[in-house]
Amino acid sequence: MIELLEAVDELEFIEGCCLMQADQVLSSTFPQARRHHETIARKAFGYVFQNAAKLRSTHDEAHLEIGEKRVSGFLLENKQILICLSSKRTNIVNVRNNVRELYSGLQQQAQLA
Amino acid sequence: MADYKMLFTGSVCSGKTTAIRSLSEIETVDTDAKVSDSVIRRKQRTTIAMDYGVLELSDTAKLHLYGTPGQERFRFMWQLMMSDLVADAEALVLLVDNTRNDPFKDIRFYVEEFRDYLVKRRLVIAVTHSDVRPNPDYNYYMNELKRMGLFTTVMFIDARDPAAVLKVVKEVVGRREKEVDWAGLAEKLADNSTVPEAVALPDEIVSSEAAKPISLIDAAVNTRGITGAMHLGADRKVLSSNVASMQSQALLKAMVNLVSALEQKAAFLGKIDSFMLCGEEQETLSVFVEEEQALGLCSDKGLSLTVVEQQASDLLQWSRDND
Repeated sequence: MIELLEAVDELEFIEGCCLMQADQVLSSTFPQARRHHETIARKAFGYVFQNAAKLRSTHDEAHLEIGEKRVSGFLLENKQILICLSSKRTNIVNVRNNVRELYSGLQQQAQLA
Repeated sequence: MADYKMLFTGSVCSGKTTAIRSLSEIETVDTDAKVSDSVIRRKQRTTIAMDYGVLELSDTAKLHLYGTPGQERFRFMWQLMMSDLVADAEALVLLVDNTRNDPFKDIRFYVEEFRDYLVKRRLVIAVTHSDVRPNPDYNYYMNELKRMGLFTTVMFIDARDPAAVLKVVKEVVGRREKEVDWAGLAEKLADNSTVPEAVALPDEIVSSEAAKPISLIDAAVNTRGITGAMHLGADRKVLSSNVASMQSQALLKAMVNLVSALEQKAAFLGKIDSFMLCGEEQETLSVFVEEEQALGLCSDKGLSLTVVEQQASDLLQWSRDND
């Protein structure tokens, strides 16, 4: 899923992203000045997706608006979570559609390979 | 005869119908109906299709005034109007209610909705209700809009006052219609004014006129796409809730606990506005946070997140106004 992280990071409105699994960061492009956002997002999304799984819910996407920023979390296969940082003023629909589109494209490529 | 068109849009209660009535020389065509959803907290009737009025600017120029319905659920009318009736309009006048919790959120919402339409025409932002709440003031608007990359005209108007609304018209067509007698027009339209005379009412009359209060939860579930709501206080404890599904209730509570913990431990990052949880097969769960209250919402998975945000903002504002 590193390819997804790289592709998402290319999006103009994404200021940084991070791939995590079981609270471990697999890869991150978060700018140094935004490391606190990354930490908060990891805790928040880890917690909420864990709760969702316990309650047998299939929620797999979360968005937290804090200060001037928005962190978005996407639950991927193998319980990996992709976290993206964007400005709160960026259209949230743009963020989710672009990430979902890239993810689905990569999944299709993987199936063909 | 030159025919000009102007389209008025903005949130519910921003003054679109009033502005058109202030200017129109004909009996305006309005398609209002008794409100049936959360708007009930702000007004008894709302526009469901469109408003239309006409103003003779001079012997050689006529202005057609169109107003969109404010409620998001009638947005199909916005598209219809943009692509047909007002496809050749001179300008879009965005009426912004200054008493709204965050007027700039409204501006962002409408500019986004009308983005393509605005490529070919002017945008004028007309701020209303500044007599009730004077801030944000003109300078604040200009600075904030500049920050948003919106370089546009901002005017503070009273939609009930024809002379004030006429200034917006002059701003849009004044350069091309140099023969218009603006002062004479304002005088001619003075009878359209609905600015009330100052009358002191005894307290008991004022209070007896107050509408029967409706709870935030009732208002929320009467909003399109909202299936359940949870109202929380400043301490983030549940004040009332009608979330039926145990799963959604438990998840919403987990989200509120998280928000509450972050408010204490990550305050240095800024205020938390919202936390949303979505899934392809699940209803969307959201928590919208204000200092004095918070609102948890369960909404249809097909409802756009920007719409949910807008609805939550409306509901929280009305709840605050009612307190």
